[in-house]
Amino acid sequence: MSRRSVVVVSAFAVGLVVLGALAAAPPVGAQAGGYPTKSITLLVPWPAGGWVDATARVVAGIAEKDLGQPVVVTNRVGGGGQVAWTELARARADGYTLGIVNFPNLSTIVYDPERKAAFTAGAYTHLVNQVLNPVAVWVKPDSPYRSLRDLVEDARKRPAQIRVGLDAILGDDHLALLLLEQEASVRFRAVHFEGAAPQIPALLGGQVDVVFQNASFPFVPRARAGEVRMIAVFARERSPFLPDVPTAAEQGFQTTMSVTSGLAAPKGLPGPVAEKLQAVFARAMQSAEHREKLQQIGVPAKILVGAEYTQLIDELDGHARRLVEQFRKSR
Amino acid sequence: MDIVQHWLHGFAVATTPENLLFVVIGSVLGTLVGLLPGLGPIEGTAILIPLTYRMEPIPALIMLAAIYYGAMYGGTISSVLVNVPGEGVSVVTCFDGYQMARQGRAGVALGVAAIGSFVGGTIATVALMLVALPLARVALAIGPPEMFALLLIGFVLVATLGGRRLLPSLLMALVGLLLAMVGMDPVRGAPRLAFGVPELYDGIGFIPVVMGLFGVAEIMLALEHPTPPAPGARVGGLRGMLPSREEWPRVAGAIGRGTLLGFLLGLIPGIGAVIPTFAAYALEKRLSRHPERFGTGVVEGVAAPETANNAYANASMVPLLTLGVPGSPTLAVLMGAFIIHGVTPGAFLFRERPDLVWGLIASLYVGNLVLLVLNLPMVGLWARLLELPRAYLYPAILLFAIIGCYSVRQSLFDVGLMLVFGVLGYLVRKLDWPVAPTVLALILAPLMEKALRNSLEMSGGDASIFVTRPIAALLLGVAAVALVLAAAGLGPIRRLGAPPEP
Repeated sequence: MSRRSVVVVSAFAVGLVVLGALAAAPPVGAQAGGYPTKSITLLVPWPAGGWVDATARVVAGIAEKDLGQPVVVTNRVGGGGQVAWTELARARADGYTLGIVNFPNLSTIVYDPERKAAFTAGAYTHLVNQVLNPVAVWVKPDSPYRSLRDLVEDARKRPAQIRVGLDAILGDDHLALLLLEQEASVRFRAVHFEGAAPQIPALLGGQVDVVFQNASFPFVPRARAGEVRMIAVFARERSPFLPDVPTAAEQGFQTTMSVTSGLAAPKGLPGPVAEKLQAVFARAMQSAEHREKLQQIGVPAKILVGAEYTQLIDELDGHARRLVEQFRKSR
Repeated sequence: MDIVQHWLHGFAVATTPENLLFVVIGSVLGTLVGLLPGLGPIEGTAILIPLTYRMEPIPALIMLAAIYYGAMYGGTISSVLVNVPGEGVSVVTCFDGYQMARQGRAGVALGVAAIGSFVGGTIATVALMLVALPLARVALAIGPPEMFALLLIGFVLVATLGGRRLLPSLLMALVGLLLAMVGMDPVRGAPRLAFGVPELYDGIGFIPVVMGLFGVAEIMLALEHPTPPAPGARVGGLRGMLPSREEWPRVAGAIGRGTLLGFLLGLIPGIGAVIPTFAAYALEKRLSRHPERFGTGVVEGVAAPETANNAYANASMVPLLTLGVPGSPTLAVLMGAFIIHGVTPGAFLFRERPDLVWGLIASLYVGNLVLLVLNLPMVGLWARLLELPRAYLYPAILLFAIIGCYSVRQSLFDVGLMLVFGVLGYLVRKLDWPVAPTVLALILAPLMEKALRNSLEMSGGDASIFVTRPIAALLLGVAAVALVLAAAGLGPIRRLGAPPEP
């Protein structure tokens, strides 16, 4: 082999290795003092096209300017959040792996023994809550259901025949449906999708008759555009985005169900890192940019830190535990 | 008009400096990998997926597509210069391309191939735009039962048409289905077949399997062969790459027919990329006044298959983007990579992410142009690269694959998985069994399972939903017929794809 081709080979090999190194993550082992010294991964348990993904990307975009390092949103979809929350609970508590957690969804996985969850609500350092989002009932614009009452009456006539598009098993949408079934003594036919995005074609294409999904993006913009219609929201107050639609309570039903979306890290995060993250992300969520963007996409913010947030998690966790036990008995 | 707006918007997306850069990087890297003997589009895409892992979806998809057609062109270069096809798609190009190179006309062969690829790719892309929009309009009629039936068709066609023997193909597909079952149950959420190994809770990663089965296995196979002799032919300047005046009419005819043939075959999932090249070559030979001169270095013998190959590559994007059905194993890998980026190909994509789809389509044009501009002057460099001994080059690529695989999740488990599947792929290839059905099953199975279970949820557990819905019933019928034809060895398309004698 000629000298020249040795040079070419070496150059090529070096080039490939450099390319590979560029693809690989920066070295680990940074100290808390200069934190963060490299990019931070933010695990999102739902697919792109849903509201959790949308809001996570908004806050990541604001916070990374403050942190001086990129916050890379990574969608780890599967098992109604279980994949991402397992990974988050197992990740190194160095502040470079963060994740979005949702209650009561996380708790229902913990309390369902079939799921063999490798985590509990206590497996994380809960930093800041970003969103509290109520479940709503959605239909096509030409649907015969004008109200929740219409829907329940029809379900009484045709038990277990009305197809309801839901998100994950025992997720907030499913819990709302189960609570409604219990309250009104009716049965529906549940069809589970992964995230909100596939629920839209299913509803518009008539694959399901009704969809239970949060009163937010991506359904709110579609409701504004006249593509879908909301007939009830399972909250104590009306949705600020669609104030003309009455709550379930106004229509004579007691069922309420909301889901949180908040920032968490693996348990055992070093104190200074936790404080920094909490401060930066709380500041990001309280910024005008965050407020405007969430208003624009149509997601209700609920920024909570410290004891207030812990209290809400405890409350939702306890509620989820009772519901799961109840539903496992009735199954 | 609607379509013009989409079209312009797509171009706006594809020509931002950032995306343009990724088209160029993807084309160059794709060409580089495709050039190496044994490594074609599927291996190239598989090895290079990690580079795009942390990118935003649009640039990532654009770069992946660029790698795909870049690798196609890379295969052409090694076919012409050293008579070693990158993989099946460029086998036919060897027939006349290498003869031309021996006559000192390597430049013309590569030039014609580039021009043919450009024309074929561009015209096919225009047709893709025209076909895609009406198809996307019927998107809403496709519910879970129809989706299941569609995926089944793609599955049957790709698993049976590609290989010569049905049983090994189906068995390898079953292996893929089994691998796909590992991990979280998509509906109930409970872990399956994970045997308590936490790394398996998330399933067997598509990236390590594909990189192993295609990348590592092919590198091992390639190392068994000695380095090919250095190309004797010098390529010369741009002028040395154009055919002579009397050749032009024949070239133009071959390009026209190759485009049409490649495009039509590309619309049928499962044809695979090889058949259009053989078919185009056979057609030219039949139409020629001097069929006996084929195989001695006639220019249309290069132009036709190369054009057909690129027209096919672009046309096969139609079933992928509109129906979510990958037409070839390479496209299945591409589809897997899209899904990793949160983009599930299918009709709904046109409604939901027009920026992404039209940006990608526009990038196909841009990419064809980039390949033309880039490859004409760079051919000399590529030729030199082929002189490198494999003993140095391939270990470097293996190292690159290992780093790339690790970088995706910073997981050594994934690297181990890749190497295990590399050895498995090597052994399976030694048995002359196909690995593509395994990969296809691994990628399609989760989608099929979701569609199946959603269908049954919709019907309350009644399987008759698949036959009472007319579109689903029709599609299932097509899948059944395809399977029976394949089992009976009657596949008309397969006969068409029988290699002609040069």
